Amino acid sequence: MGERTTVKYPYPKVLITNPLNSSALAFPVLECIHIVGFAFSIGTVAIVDFSLLGIGMSRQTPAQLARDTWLWTLGGLVVMLFSGLLLFSSDPDMYYLNWPFLIKMFFFVSAVIFHYTIHRKAVSSDTPPPNGKLIAGVSLFLWCGVIFGGIFIGFVYPGLSLG
Amino acid sequence: MLLTFVQWIQLTDFFTALRGSAYVYPIVLSLHMVGLALFGGMILMTDLRLLGVTMRQRPIADVVNQLRVPKRWGLLLTATCGFLMFGSKAEEYYYNAFFRTKLILFAVVIVTELVFYRSVYGNPAALDQAPQVPGNAKLAAALSLLLWTSIACCGRGIGYIEPPLDKIHAQIHVRHDATAVAARGLYIQKGQDHQDVASAN
Repeated sequence: MGERTTVKYPYPKVLITNPLNSSALAFPVLECIHIVGFAFSIGTVAIVDFSLLGIGMSRQTPAQLARDTWLWTLGGLVVMLFSGLLLFSSDPDMYYLNWPFLIKMFFFVSAVIFHYTIHRKAVSSDTPPPNGKLIAGVSLFLWCGVIFGGIFIGFVYPGLSLG
Repeated sequence: MLLTFVQWIQLTDFFTALRGSAYVYPIVLSLHMVGLALFGGMILMTDLRLLGVTMRQRPIADVVNQLRVPKRWGLLLTATCGFLMFGSKAEEYYYNAFFRTKLILFAVVIVTELVFYRSVYGNPAALDQAPQVPGNAKLAAALSLLLWTSIACCGRGIGYIEPPLDKIHAQIHVRHDATAVAARGLYIQKGQDHQDVASAN
């Protein structure tokens, strides 16, 4: 064992504040971008899902609609994800300890995985899948779960304590 | 009169119960956002189709006609939830600048729908027959995109303003007192009364 050296980190210089938090407008503007992003992504997914359920655009096949809308879904997802990350960065500890946020992340990850695996397969061929209605129902349920989780974040304050 | 009306709405048994519940408000707000996501998305896609940006292989008539019914149901869901939230805190909403802006934008949306209904939304088959999407259809779509996006943003803004109802109420009382005193002729005679009123403000 050699000589011990202690390194003092210049904490006050390293810990700079997030510039998002020094502007009162940054958070609400990001929220608006987040909302428009999810209107695009979830709205386009809903058009395809409703067509699987026989509602709305049922004259087109779900596969045709999926080909029409996939880019808008993906674009909306990207906008939603990056604005969401910025919102998260405003107070990471709070979000980490907030149980609706954790539920939201569970629903979000499930919804994205479901969308790009099972859902994608179901709408890839022009012949409607036999379990199309179930797949549409699961898809809508997962995306609604994301929205509910997102709204409840703002209504729960004491972190993980449920009481 | 309008103020009395919103106060009455808020004080009905139904909305008093709604206000008192911790879970109902976020659930109603969540459903409001579900309506926004599902049916706001459909409005976006319809407008972008009219602008020729998306779903170009589908006839305009197919997009407009088939999405009409689900959009109406969606509007019903979103508007119902919106009204429930308004009713539970009607007086706060009454003073809220974003809420007022949102209502004005709704009025503008209704006017544009009425103006463009006959030429655009009511007759989409004619738009398909034209060699190019007519200018007024594109104008209607652009206006719709702008207005609905602004409405969504105003909706988010409502939550950031909390009108100081206590101060507003106190000020109203002071004004009532001042007029009552002035009617008895004391307001002008006694200088210190005037002082009291000023400090209370």
